[in-house]
Amino acid sequence: MSAPTAVVVRLKLSLLRNGLRQSAGRRAAYVASAVVVLLVAALQLVGLVALRGHAHAASLVVLLVAVLGLGWAVMPLFFPSGDETLDPTRLVMLPLRPRPLVRALLAASLVGIGPLFTALLLAGSVVSVAHGATAYGVGVLGAVLGLLVCVTLARAVAAANIRLLTSRRGRDLAVLSGLVVAVGAQVVNFGAQQLGSSGLGRLDPAADVLRWVPPAAAVGAADSASEGSYGSAAAQLLLTAAALGALLVVWERSLTRLMTAPDGSTFQAAGSGTRERRGSSGLARLLPAGRTGTVMERSLRYVWRDPRTKAAWVTSLAIGLIVPVFNALQGTGSPYFACFAAGMLGIQMYNQFGQDTSAFWMVALSISSTRDAYAELRARALALLVITLPYTALVAVVTTGLLDDWPRLPEVLGLSCALLGAMLATGAWTSARFPYSIPQEGYKNVAPGQAGLACTAIFGGMVAAALLCAPVIAVTIWLNVSAGGDAWTWLLLPAGAAYGATLTCLGLRLAAPRTAARLPEILTAVSRG
Amino acid sequence: MSSAVRVHGLWKRFGQQVAVAGIDLDLPAGRFIGLVGPNGAGKTTTLSMVTGLLRPDGGTVEVVGHDVWRDPVEVKARIGVLPEGLRLFERLSGRELLGYTGRLRGLPGAEVDKRATQLLDVLDLAGAQHKLVVDYSTGMRKKIGLAAALLHNPEVLFLDEPFEGVDPVSAQTIRGVLERYTASGATVVFSSHVMELVESLCDWVAVLAAGRIRAHGPLEEVRGSAPSLQKAFLELVGARERDAGSDLDWLGGGPR
Repeated sequence: MSAPTAVVVRLKLSLLRNGLRQSAGRRAAYVASAVVVLLVAALQLVGLVALRGHAHAASLVVLLVAVLGLGWAVMPLFFPSGDETLDPTRLVMLPLRPRPLVRALLAASLVGIGPLFTALLLAGSVVSVAHGATAYGVGVLGAVLGLLVCVTLARAVAAANIRLLTSRRGRDLAVLSGLVVAVGAQVVNFGAQQLGSSGLGRLDPAADVLRWVPPAAAVGAADSASEGSYGSAAAQLLLTAAALGALLVVWERSLTRLMTAPDGSTFQAAGSGTRERRGSSGLARLLPAGRTGTVMERSLRYVWRDPRTKAAWVTSLAIGLIVPVFNALQGTGSPYFACFAAGMLGIQMYNQFGQDTSAFWMVALSISSTRDAYAELRARALALLVITLPYTALVAVVTTGLLDDWPRLPEVLGLSCALLGAMLATGAWTSARFPYSIPQEGYKNVAPGQAGLACTAIFGGMVAAALLCAPVIAVTIWLNVSAGGDAWTWLLLPAGAAYGATLTCLGLRLAAPRTAARLPEILTAVSRG
Repeated sequence: MSSAVRVHGLWKRFGQQVAVAGIDLDLPAGRFIGLVGPNGAGKTTTLSMVTGLLRPDGGTVEVVGHDVWRDPVEVKARIGVLPEGLRLFERLSGRELLGYTGRLRGLPGAEVDKRATQLLDVLDLAGAQHKLVVDYSTGMRKKIGLAAALLHNPEVLFLDEPFEGVDPVSAQTIRGVLERYTASGATVVFSSHVMELVESLCDWVAVLAAGRIRAHGPLEEVRGSAPSLQKAFLELVGARERDAGSDLDWLGGGPR
C-alpha cells in the first residue's frame, strides 16, 4: 500500500472507531445493525448458492446485481451511510495529487459493512451461475471488478453532488434526485409484480439487456463463460473494466474541480442581493398566536427554505403519491395503498430536534417546563398536519377514484388518519428519546457513528406505529369479512380519525416530559453536525 | 453586594478528560465580568453549564438567587445567552429570527417587533434585516445573536467569545451596546482569551486554566503589581517564556 492510501484507510478506521466510542447505546445500535446486515448477507448467500442449477438463476442474479448497482448510485445521496466518512474537501489543504488521492479514497471506501455485503452478494451470484474452472476464474475477476464499480459509482455520484449540495441554489436542485429513489422503488415493485404473476422466466428479457450493463455485466461474464461463449465473457469483463475506468476518470475530475475551484459559499457571498420582504408574511396572520403559531411558522418556513428539510419533504410527497397511484394505474393496486402517503409523511415527525441542528439551543433556552415542551411538540405536529392531512386525503381520493372503488374511501381515510396519528406519536417520542445529528455540511444524513441510532429510531418507530394501528386494521378486516359488515365500513372514518388523534395526543404527552427533562442531552446529541 | 451568579463545586468530565474540575465562583451583580483563560481552559463548558445548556456532573449553579436546574422557569426568563460554536436558525432572515425568538420567549408580538426594529437599528443591521442569516458574515451573526439575547431584557447576559472573528467596526458597536446595558445595572459575563480586550472592558475578572479558577476579583486586584493583565495572566497560568533558539533552529526564511 502506498503512503497516502495507508494513512487514509487508517483515518477511516479511526473515524469509525471514534464514532462508536461515544456511548454504549450507540455502539450497541451499530453492532446490532451490522449483525442484521451480515445476517441478511449470509442468508442471501445461502439462497444464491441453493439457486445453482436453476434454469433462470442467471437472469435473477444479473437483475439482483443491477439493482445493487442502482442502490450504490443513489445511496450516497439519500441514506445515512458510514461510507462517506472521508470528505475530500477536508483534504483540500494537503499537497496531494488527484490520482494517489483517488486510490487512497477508493481503498478507504472498501472498508465497511456496505462493501462487505456487496462482496458477499457478488460471491454468491458467481457461485450460482459459474460452472467449470474457467467460469470461476472469470467470475472471481468479475466479482472484484463489480465491487470496484459499485464503490466507485457511489463515490463518483457523491463527488459530483457535493458541489451541488454545498451551493445554496444547487441544493435546491438536488431535491429532484428524490424522484430517482421513487422511480427506482417503482421499478423494483414492478419487477416483483411481474415475477409474482408469471414466474422467473419473465426476467429473461430484462436480464438479456442488463447482462451487458456494468456492474451486472461482471456476473453476466461468469454466466457466458459457463455456457462456453468465451467471446461474450471477455466482452462483458472488458465492458465492466471500461466502466470502472470511466467512473474513475469522472470521479478524479470532480475531485480535482472540487479541490481547486472556489466552493459554493464563495459564489453565494459574491452574488446574493438583498431582497426586500414584508415584515410579517400572510402565513403568520392565519396561524394561532403564542408559541404554537410561532413554532408552526418557523417549521413551515423551513420546509420551503431549508434544502435538507425540503428534500426530505419532496421525497416523502413524491413516493407517497407515486406508489399508490402507479399501482392503481397498472391495475395491480389496492385502495389501501393510499395509506402509504400517511406513512411516508409521518416520517417527517421523526428526529424533530435533529432537524434543528445545534440551533436547538434557542429552543432549549425557551423551554422551562413540561408544558412548554408539550406546546413546542404540538406546534411541530400541527405544522406537519397542515401539509399532511390534505395531501393524505388527496392521495386517498385519487387512488380510490382511479380504481373506481369509492365505497372503500371512508375506511382508507380512516386507516390513513390512524397511521398518521401513530407516526406522529412515535415520531414525537423518538425525537425526545433518540435524537441524532443531521450534518449540514457534505452529503450525509447522519453523523458518523450515529447511523445505527438513526435506524433504530426510524425503523423501531415505524414498527411501533404499525402495531399501534393494529386495532383499526383488525376492525377493518373484520368488517370486510363479516356478513353485512360492508354497511358499517363508513364508521372507520370517524373511528380512525379519533383513534389517530388520541394516539398523537398520548404520544405528545409522553414525549413532553422527556423532552423537558433531557434538553441538555438532546442538544449534545444534535450538535455533532 | 448581591451576586448575579453563584457557582459551587462545579464539575464536568468528558470520558477521561476533566473539563471543569470543581469551580467555586461568586459573580457580583451589575458588573462587566470577564472570564479569561487559554483555549481548552473550560470557559465554554463552564458557561454552557451555568446557562443550563450542558448538564454538570456535580455542583450547583444559582443565577439571581434561583437554582438553574431546579428552577428553570425563573432562571431562563432572566438570562440572555450568546453561545459559541452553536448555530442559529439560519434560514430565517435577521428580522424573522428576532420575531421568532421574542415570541418563543412569550413577549407580545407588537412589543417584539418594536424592540427588534430598535435593536436592528442600533446594531447596524437594518440594511440586512431581510437577508437570511445564512448569508450573514461572522460579525453580523454575532450581532444578530446579541440582539436575540437582549430582546427579552435579561438581568444577566452570558456571551461566549462575543468578539471572536468580529471586525473592528462591529466590535465597537457591540461594545457600545454592552456598556449601555451594564450602566443600567445589568450584569454581563463574557469569555475571551484576548487580555487587552478584557482589560479595557471589564471591572471584574476570573482567570480559568485547566478547569480551575486561578484568580478572581476586581480587575486591579487580579492584575496586582504586574504591568498588564496579560503579564499577570501568564504568571497565573504558569506559562514560561521558553528559549526558542535551541528547539527550532531549522525554522526561518532565507535560501534553502
